[in-house]
Amino acid sequence: MMRIIDFKRLKSLSSSVDFSPHQLIQRCSVSGTSKGKAKVKGGQTLKRSKVSTKKGKTTEPTEKPKGRRTSEYEKMVRDCLDASAPVRHLKPKEIAREAEREKMGLISKERAKEIEMMKKKKSESESGSPAIMGTPGLDLITLGLVDAEKIPKYELTVEDGRRLAKEYSRVLMRKHRARQAAESTLLRLKKEAIEALPENLKGAALVPDLTPFPVNRFMATLTPPIEGHFEKINEAARKSSVKEKLR
Amino acid sequence: MLGRSLTAARGFCTSNSDKIVASVLFERLPVVIPKIDPVVYAFQEFSFRWGQQFRRQYPDEFLKKSDARGKGDYQIDYVPAPRVTEADKSNDKRSLQRALDRRLYLLLCSKAYGAPNGKPVWHFPEKVYESEETLRKCAESALQSVLGDLSHTYFVGNAPMGHMVIQPTENAHDLQPLKRFFFKSQLIATNKFKIEKCDDFVWVTKDELLEYFPEQADFLNKMIIS
Repeated sequence: MMRIIDFKRLKSLSSSVDFSPHQLIQRCSVSGTSKGKAKVKGGQTLKRSKVSTKKGKTTEPTEKPKGRRTSEYEKMVRDCLDASAPVRHLKPKEIAREAEREKMGLISKERAKEIEMMKKKKSESESGSPAIMGTPGLDLITLGLVDAEKIPKYELTVEDGRRLAKEYSRVLMRKHRARQAAESTLLRLKKEAIEALPENLKGAALVPDLTPFPVNRFMATLTPPIEGHFEKINEAARKSSVKEKLR
Repeated sequence: MLGRSLTAARGFCTSNSDKIVASVLFERLPVVIPKIDPVVYAFQEFSFRWGQQFRRQYPDEFLKKSDARGKGDYQIDYVPAPRVTEADKSNDKRSLQRALDRRLYLLLCSKAYGAPNGKPVWHFPEKVYESEETLRKCAESALQSVLGDLSHTYFVGNAPMGHMVIQPTENAHDLQPLKRFFFKSQLIATNKFKIEKCDDFVWVTKDELLEYFPEQADFLNKMIIS
């Protein structure tokens, strides 16, 4: 059973999730019955935690190009499993412990990697352009939803984060309050209009209209609909499916 | 609050000799989501980048694996349509493709009821109430006379959404005060529309609508949100 560690929210605005191999050890049985309890021994790594590539082991000595590809695959898998975050999230106890260990001369692997990255960063210059959120062609700036110039400048620090959060909440609350006020005005106008109706029509107007909403009401989307696009996609899908049937 | 109409300050209770007109506020809902405030976007970007700092960076070749196209997949690249259409650039008020992120309201120009001296005037589609069942049916027939049929319209609720009491001032024509009730109805599922029975029609946004009716500007401001 995998256990996700919840880091306390200290100064950072988000919590991070860190998987390390020692968490994949099965500590208790999962099924609600006593079936299979005999098989589970404490401290045993789960079978599915190992990524075994039998191909690589048997074919490596025989065929060279296949072996190279599988070793690339293994290397990629190893890279993925060993991937680390650019900034490590450490609690104050951990920071103190690391400082003490450095005084004694012991440096953990992650700390060593961090030191290397800091050195690399000092030599390189930072990329100044704003980071792209989302898929490259369809993010909000290129689509014209946001004016890139009007975005306030900020650094990735806690104080700037707090300032941005304050402005964000201010803007949204203002809009919310305006919307609530407008809606209550609408209701008030409707009530006044119903009061102003003559008696025979007032009864009909007060009857709530319970017919269901129209199903084909168009919902606003990011970009406007392209005429004929839907049919093109359907055609292409039909053609590709026909091809597969022939095979 | 009761009986206080917003154009004239008369507090009458309704008498049956008043002329009642049902008019329709026909709107096209926005097709595209509205622009995002830069402050909001800045905060979202900040929180995204802050979170990315603490996330594992997988090797690029692993992330690019999803770009490989499988055999038999149709290779149509999606090019999104622009949000500012040509109707926007040419400011063609008759087309429905104009302000895609805002609501558009229909206005007609013809010899309206209650207009001074029968001159063509900009007004909402309307009809005088004459002993039909409900006022909403009167409004529906008003819209029907303009559009032809009601298949792509949806009337929101049985009750009107606002009323205006118009006192005739200098005119010899109508000596009776006029009560105009507005009904809300929405356009569904079409892009083009054929509008007959009037000299001219326009699809306008809220700001332009306020220009067309300068005296009733604040009432319309309250009745129409965006």
